[in-house]
Amino acid sequence: MAEVPTQYGIILAAILFSLGVAGILLRRNIFFILLFVEVMLNAAGLAFVVAGARWGQADGQVMFIFVLATAAAEVAIGLGLLLRLHHQFKTLNVDEASDLRG
Amino acid sequence: MTSADILSLLPLLVVATTGVVVMLAAAFYRNHRLSLVLTLAGLLVAFISLPFVSPLTPRQVTPLVLVDGYALFYMGLIFAASFIVALLAYGYLEKWDGNPEELYVLLLLATLGAAVLVGSSHFASFFLGLETLSVALYAMIAYNRSLRRGIEAGIKYLVLAGVTAAFLLFGMALVYAETGTLAFSGVVAAAGGASLQLMVGLGMLIVGVGFKLGVVPFHMWTPDVYQGAPAPVTGLLASMSKGAVFALLLRYFTPVPALERQGLVWVFTAIAILSMLGGNILALTQDNVKRILAYSSIAHLGYLLVAFLASGPAGQLAVAFYLVAYFATTLSAFGVVTVLSTPDDEAESLQAYQGLYYRRPWLAIIFTIALLSLAGIPPTAGLVGKIFIAAAGVQASLWLLLIVLVLASVIGVFYYMRIVITMFRRPEVEAARPGMVGLPRAASVVLGVLSVILVGLGIYPVPVMRIIERTVARLV
Repeated sequence: MAEVPTQYGIILAAILFSLGVAGILLRRNIFFILLFVEVMLNAAGLAFVVAGARWGQADGQVMFIFVLATAAAEVAIGLGLLLRLHHQFKTLNVDEASDLRG
Repeated sequence: MTSADILSLLPLLVVATTGVVVMLAAAFYRNHRLSLVLTLAGLLVAFISLPFVSPLTPRQVTPLVLVDGYALFYMGLIFAASFIVALLAYGYLEKWDGNPEELYVLLLLATLGAAVLVGSSHFASFFLGLETLSVALYAMIAYNRSLRRGIEAGIKYLVLAGVTAAFLLFGMALVYAETGTLAFSGVVAAAGGASLQLMVGLGMLIVGVGFKLGVVPFHMWTPDVYQGAPAPVTGLLASMSKGAVFALLLRYFTPVPALERQGLVWVFTAIAILSMLGGNILALTQDNVKRILAYSSIAHLGYLLVAFLASGPAGQLAVAFYLVAYFATTLSAFGVVTVLSTPDDEAESLQAYQGLYYRRPWLAIIFTIALLSLAGIPPTAGLVGKIFIAAAGVQASLWLLLIVLVLASVIGVFYYMRIVITMFRRPEVEAARPGMVGLPRAASVVLGVLSVILVGLGIYPVPVMRIIERTVARLV
């Protein structure tokens, strides 16, 4: 099997990352925002795996597992807050749930 | 891993164990006082273990953590901050009918994350420490679940911190793809080359760290989150979470010969100037004490960046001393806000402080001392800290930054004095605020001690300087 050049992998990760950023900026629903944060984190994870493959080290994959674990913790709290948001504001739209102004 | 390795990780192990113990205790027997006592005991043991660990250092424990005088000094500072926040939170949560015990578990988790952060020497431990700190903070910010603004602040912080983490990770991956190592020392050594990928990677790392420090232009979240979070948690956010990240930044970016990275130096200079001016000017328009303090913290991080840019032993000393003074000042200021607040009704508008001197003279004096220290007026620790920073700046001839520092400080005096004057102005109507019957005893003692420390350091800073010279400056 032919080897995939490192650059391709990095470019793919960068595209995924940009999609995540665009999603966060465009969507106003907290559920989708959390989803796109996840896309960004996984894009970074992919970049780690690609970089690890370039150097023939396991470090990239180890970092990916860390990313997965912490992303899970983040989502656990994120979904908890999402439920409270729905309970308090009766909406999932983050623009409508905005009391803090100065 | 040898037994000496494990022993040198003792402070971290103690804090981690205490977190589990407090959690289990809350699971079997809910008692607010028990949770507090266990937390305080754990933090105290961790703090006392520091001098015993000191002879074993410097020691590289696995590639991940470097335990040396520098790490131990900042761990001590973090444990002390955590201890104070626990005491402040106790009196605050007493007035609340929800479950208060879990806050201590989260506090210990955040402490552990911050302590790992200052000891980390590898991207993996940096990331894990940061996430432990952040995830604990999300839950702490939204701790009062029945409050709309708490939830809002929690979500804002969660989304921004998640994005920040992604930026940091992507930056790390790019740097790793280029250098082939995840250890900071290797990265710093290899980062001399200037490929596009490396520059983008370092840029993303700066964005990530900038968000965590809340410096301009990454500061937008700061006022909202500070306002929405419970007052003791805001104190923690302002002191521990920023201080730990700054200590790490200082440790690994300073040894790089500044001239080699002209580009990065200019980036940091711009961030410092924008933060000093931006933070102070934006604070002028605010009527909310928590938001004023939020903008003031942005400015203070700008001052710290001046010392960071000065680098060298003078810069290290200035940052270490300034962080000690800043921790004590911030915790004291948010401590006053805490004792005047209840979880469901926070004393944050400027009106709540009108005539405070006539209702609670001691509290008004303590707050005044904290504000004087923030403004850098004698005889307080804040002034000595600023003098150290200015001295470091003069040594490195950073004239532009120094001029901005002085200008920004003058602007700062104006809004700090506004709060002070409000406190000493007699209220038109004598209206007793509800929930102001008695002050929590533990919190009052803590505030008194903090004020003594602030004035003491302002008059006689030598003992703290000795400690700093023996620990932090040892590695320069």
